[in-house]
Amino acid sequence: MNHSEIEALLEKAATQFMLGENAETEASLALLGSATVCAEASALAGELSRTVRKSSTEDEWPDDATRSRMEAGLDQLRKLLSEGGSQSLPAASTGSPVANSSSSSALNQDPELVGDFILEAREHLQTVETGLLVLEKEPANPDTLNAVFRSFHTIKGLAGFLEFANIQALAHEVETILDLARTGQLVMTPNLIDLTLESSDYVGKEINRIEAQLHAKDPGPVLDPGLLLVRVRTVIGGDHSGDHSGNEATPDLEPQELKPVQAEVFGAKIAPSSSNTAQPANTPKTTHPKAVPAEQMDAKTKRGMATDTHAIRVDTAKLDYLLDMVGEMVIAESMVRLDPELSGTKNTRLQRNLNQLRRVTEEVQKVAMATRLIPVGTLFQRVNRLVRDTSRKAGKMAEVELIGEDTQLDKTIIEELTDPIMHMVRNSIDHGIETPADRVQAGKPQSGRVQLKAYRQADHIQIEIVDDGRGLHKEKILAKARERGLINESVHLTDSEIFQLIFEPGFSTAEKVTDISGRGVGMDVVKKQIQKLRGKIDIHSTPGLGTTFYLKLPLTLAIVEGLVVGVGRERYILPIFSVQEMFRPVEGQVSTVQSRGEMVMVRNQLLPLIRLHRSLGVKPKTEDTAQSLLIVAETEGKRFVLMVDEFVGKQEVVIKSLGASLKNTTGIAGGAILGDGRVGLILDLEAIYSERNLKAEVIKESLLEAC
Amino acid sequence: MSAAVLGAPVLTKEERSGKYLAFHLGPEEFGIQVLKVREIMGIQEITAVPHTPQHTKGVINLRGKVIPVVDLRLKFGMPEAIYTQRTCIIVTEVEGESGPMMIGAVVDGVSEVLNLSPVDIEDTPDFGGEVATTGLLGMAKVKGKVKILLDIDHVMTHQDLKDLGKILS
Repeated sequence: MNHSEIEALLEKAATQFMLGENAETEASLALLGSATVCAEASALAGELSRTVRKSSTEDEWPDDATRSRMEAGLDQLRKLLSEGGSQSLPAASTGSPVANSSSSSALNQDPELVGDFILEAREHLQTVETGLLVLEKEPANPDTLNAVFRSFHTIKGLAGFLEFANIQALAHEVETILDLARTGQLVMTPNLIDLTLESSDYVGKEINRIEAQLHAKDPGPVLDPGLLLVRVRTVIGGDHSGDHSGNEATPDLEPQELKPVQAEVFGAKIAPSSSNTAQPANTPKTTHPKAVPAEQMDAKTKRGMATDTHAIRVDTAKLDYLLDMVGEMVIAESMVRLDPELSGTKNTRLQRNLNQLRRVTEEVQKVAMATRLIPVGTLFQRVNRLVRDTSRKAGKMAEVELIGEDTQLDKTIIEELTDPIMHMVRNSIDHGIETPADRVQAGKPQSGRVQLKAYRQADHIQIEIVDDGRGLHKEKILAKARERGLINESVHLTDSEIFQLIFEPGFSTAEKVTDISGRGVGMDVVKKQIQKLRGKIDIHSTPGLGTTFYLKLPLTLAIVEGLVVGVGRERYILPIFSVQEMFRPVEGQVSTVQSRGEMVMVRNQLLPLIRLHRSLGVKPKTEDTAQSLLIVAETEGKRFVLMVDEFVGKQEVVIKSLGASLKNTTGIAGGAILGDGRVGLILDLEAIYSERNLKAEVIKESLLEAC
Repeated sequence: MSAAVLGAPVLTKEERSGKYLAFHLGPEEFGIQVLKVREIMGIQEITAVPHTPQHTKGVINLRGKVIPVVDLRLKFGMPEAIYTQRTCIIVTEVEGESGPMMIGAVVDGVSEVLNLSPVDIEDTPDFGGEVATTGLLGMAKVKGKVKILLDIDHVMTHQDLKDLGKILS
């Protein structure tokens, strides 16, 4: 029998197994075992064949444990054979064993299913991580143990169904540990928790790779779960004075205790098929071989999710469309309500109905906006893990306290906020919290405390990161700033201004660079990121008592509060967070400074003047500054004055893209639908400011050349 | 010979046959495939966008979506016309670099939907190299009048038809 015939035989056996034709599977495997030249494969095939026979003689449909064991075995066999094949037939395709181990045919066949798997598995990993941190404090908490167990179980099931063998194998082994723990045969020691966390990290990384493959990106090198698997198996083999006698390397480690659980879950399904051993041809499973795992998985998934609140997954594109439509409805409603024919009506019934319509419309808008919001809890949970790992690495002790995890924020903001928050917490541990000895000396409890607080304040969200460490060292910061030439000796700064210095690029007062932080990279990035999210960051610190970072963030990025101004016939929207004040100039306030263009004196400060109509190329109502409106704006720390014709109003607007062909237009950040249904353009003040500078440079250069 | 002028991919007459929306710019009649048309709306106030080519008139609100609007007269280098009651915006869905996108086209007026059979369609004549003909699907003769069939995907994403107006006049 040649190589390809053997491979075909293996596939036949796998199919037969899937169809439940146990006797045939057994025969095929036995034949395969005797035919192959590879000793290892031969042994494995023989063993698998015996496993099938055992479960069929026990007059029982192969249960889940046997099934996954068989699948893992068959996979391994495939691998062995393809390796053996490439040895004997060097011309055959190379590299397939690696691809086999981590990529699955489902990736190509059913990308949607894989996408769902990625989402769901990540949720489960989150549950696992949260649960494990709880277990660290209460190792025997039964609810948590069950939750973590269920999550791994679901991941295993899904991965098995989609043929992600590495994930499946590891999740399976970890599940065994957790099962031992929840049946009281094993105690979740810190070491075990570390191991389980590492395993969940591994699964997370594998999922990242799968996602990359799904989007046809380079997934990076294959991660070998081998070492982790060995460690996990050692735990199972060692700590558990087991039912099996095993030094076997095959995953024959399933203790009997697992059975009741599965019987409970799948009891209904197992029962009918138990009567027919070899030919379950009349069961529905044979007619829809693919449906078997799917059905079982459903049951598992439901079980795993039983504790979740009722939620459904919705495509964000659908949500955005809903928001668009609701926005339109609000505009249409206000146009109807404010129509002169209706607004002057004396008909009380009509008035009442219009009021009702307005209330309902507002409510619908509020609800629609809320659909994009998710609780910050998901982000905070990750801090737990971070504090645990970082403090351990830095030889410190720290506890985390989370307040306001239910506070809702836009999903995009939460995603963009993750890195800055992680960075600040890492800093708090590394620079803020003292070593246990120092803390005791300072009269503080040995273990430090990091507190994350989120709450809503009016129309924005406030997040505080509080530590009870040593606080920021004002003098040190000042000295460092002078040394780097950021400030000169004579300037007097307020505390808050001094603290803001740590956001300067490359600023660090740490005496030594650790692998956690201290390189002075980061706080500037943090500030940039927060500003990108249209947020603000502030610091309060008391020496010896700790530091608090205050983050102020908008509820959502989709809406911006805008100042609507008119220039000529056009109307533009300025984001209100970058507007400081507006006024009509008095005579002499505007002056021309040589080679620097027009300047305006505002509160004893000369600020450059930008005539908006010039930078946008529109015809203004007036060129006379005295009859225009001046607006003081600030972006990226630069202040300047914008000249417009008139102030139209203040409005909350939904930011919309101008579409692929116009999205890169200089000076325009996007569009928004105004109250009358027309489109207003949202200005990109930063671009307008830097473009003006560019122009000034060009003019200066041409002047120099002319001279 | 004319097939070579059309450039790749050359569509057969059968592939080009089907329903077309006929509209006019001045005296010239044009047609675009009905499948590319999302809707036709009367002219409305267009918000001008600075720093854009002259033929980009600006953006409009299409039921909550902001979409750009192009004046086809200016795009083809024809003289600008004052918008009237008959002026229309044809909202088209074209293939952009990053997937389908909606763009409005301002035209003098739409006339009818034509059902063109393969025999009605002729290849685009050679204009003598002065104008790229890649944006044209061909010519259609209907009731003795010639209509220019536009490849709207190409027209909206390229700038090479700006001399079309000159040649037509």
